[in-house]
Amino acid sequence: MTFSVLMQSIISGILVGGVYALIGIGLTIIFGVMRVINFAHGDIMMVGMYMTYFLFTLFGIDPFLSVLITMPLMFLFGALLQKVFINRILGTLPQNQILLTIGLGLIMSNTAMLAFTSDYKILTTSYSSSSFNIAGISISEPLLISFLITAAITVGLYWFLLKTDTGQAIRATAQDREAAQLMGINVKWMSILSFGIGSAMAGTAGALISPTYYIFPQVGSAFTLKAFVITVLGGMGSIVGATLGGIIIGLVESVAAVTISSDWKDVVVFSIFLLVLLVKPSGLMGKSRM
Amino acid sequence: MFRKIAAAALVVGLALPGVSQAAKVKIGFINTITGAEAPIGENLTNGVTMAIEDLKKKGIEVDLTKEDDTGKPEKSLAAFEKLATRDNVAGVVGPYTSACSSAVASQADKYKVPILIPAAAKEEITRKGYKYVFRLNAPADVYSSVLMDAVQTIDKPKTIAYIYESTDFGTSTVKTAKEYAKKLGIQEVADEKYQKGAPDFRSTLSKIKSKNPDLVFMVSYVVDAITLMRQSKEIGLTPKAFLGGGAGFTTAQFLAQKEISNLVMSSTQWTDDVNWPGAADFAKRYTAKYKKEPTYHAACAYEAMMIMAETASKNGGDRDKTRNALKSGQWNGIMGEVKFADYAGFTNQNNHPMLVQQVQGARYETIYPPKFATKKPVYPFKWK
Repeated sequence: MTFSVLMQSIISGILVGGVYALIGIGLTIIFGVMRVINFAHGDIMMVGMYMTYFLFTLFGIDPFLSVLITMPLMFLFGALLQKVFINRILGTLPQNQILLTIGLGLIMSNTAMLAFTSDYKILTTSYSSSSFNIAGISISEPLLISFLITAAITVGLYWFLLKTDTGQAIRATAQDREAAQLMGINVKWMSILSFGIGSAMAGTAGALISPTYYIFPQVGSAFTLKAFVITVLGGMGSIVGATLGGIIIGLVESVAAVTISSDWKDVVVFSIFLLVLLVKPSGLMGKSRM
Repeated sequence: MFRKIAAAALVVGLALPGVSQAAKVKIGFINTITGAEAPIGENLTNGVTMAIEDLKKKGIEVDLTKEDDTGKPEKSLAAFEKLATRDNVAGVVGPYTSACSSAVASQADKYKVPILIPAAAKEEITRKGYKYVFRLNAPADVYSSVLMDAVQTIDKPKTIAYIYESTDFGTSTVKTAKEYAKKLGIQEVADEKYQKGAPDFRSTLSKIKSKNPDLVFMVSYVVDAITLMRQSKEIGLTPKAFLGGGAGFTTAQFLAQKEISNLVMSSTQWTDDVNWPGAADFAKRYTAKYKKEPTYHAACAYEAMMIMAETASKNGGDRDKTRNALKSGQWNGIMGEVKFADYAGFTNQNNHPMLVQQVQGARYETIYPPKFATKKPVYPFKWK
């Protein structure tokens, strides 16, 4: 194996990892604030993908530009889900919360199947398979653009959570729900906000992956699983952890595929995952809550 | 009084043959209606629906029980057991995928229910000597051999790389491809399995590119074919020919991706321009009805249902008689000549000639074998 093949796999691994990170960040925010594991995360992403698809085919809006529309719409969608359904069960048993989010996910994917059939939708843009070359390494244009957008969103989100009052209130809620409530923070509102942000992230990830991937009603489940691995690896509730987790998973998948073989890559990914959990059960950046 | 009239009416009804005579034949159909392979399953459903309509025109009423296996072998098996014991069907058409079909095939002899598999490729399905299992389509070995034969008529390629999904269909097709390539003296330079639905094949493809193979042989369901070709273009992987083993490389969606589908060769069970009786007409009616072109799956399912329902109806729905009639019968329809024979280790296998098609000018053109060809192959491969 030559050096350029390895470099190629490292670069595409990091770029793909960027999108994974975005999916993971959405999940980790939701978990951090509400301690609810969102099993509908992949399906929310699927909704974002369909939105992107229809904005492109019906109105001719470029998938990357349409993020500006998808993101606020997905925020509202997520906020609505939180307000109408999830806020009602916040204090109940964890398995009830899991069942609720699974149920919501099933409703979403099956509604999509009813409305759009199970046909694969493929978004074909003029740049879907274009790339440019740097020193013999080809870099996918759509993937690079989506990586840059992901980076910008992550930085923006970080700034929001660290510097703004609302962001601090969200973090306070994540740290200690009851104490935050005593300090006068409207925790129900913070939950709505964070589920909205989480959904917006998932929807955006869906939009960014659309030009190079494909869309069908059941697309979500594979990404839900991936999002889990990423968030648990990075530490539940940690945004830096999710970013790191996403990039590590992307990188390991890609490098394992060239150095070992593509059917062994999941074995490598999950071995690393287990190893991290054995050494540091709370994840890479997670704080132990015991 | 009223009861008497009703009784009289009933007697009259029974006495008049053809009026209320319920010579409906019960057939089961197992298919992947939901789940990841559902987009291909839909073609099978459409084919079967058209067969039921055509059978009605011929005077054969089919009482069809549809079962969805979601692409999972255990569900497929449960569906088959239900059809065999509760619905009492005369015969079963399906399932679609190789994994489901081999699960169901293993139980067909136990329940003594004839099943006709329309489109699953795994060889073992008809290699185990099951008496009640019949297969219409050509098995996995032909998917690859016909492609290599087609290339052999133009060039003598020296190296080949394989990239395929880690399913029954993928592995069994590539296993036989390797045996055939060895026979032809083509050297294997890469063997890459992948998990279906993966979003990123770039590193695997660049590894293959560094080996510079003459042929790249791919096997995948549905849209992985598109992802693979898109990323091949990105990476700049340019072999002398891209060979696609059926399934994902033969769909209308793949064809629609003009930028990446052009000049890709794929093996198929059926094309609409082949001169088998009724093939062109079937394509025309199908396109008018469903607003899209039929894939080979639709044609296979159509023909399988025609054969199964006709045979079962002729034999009054008796399972054993139907099985024997399938074994001895001969048909000639949109899939060409059909006969379930025992040869080369296969049992009840239709020795179906596969075709090779190449995307030329946004159309699938048949390029091999010569007697069915509509266009000459374009070789070597070039990106558009």
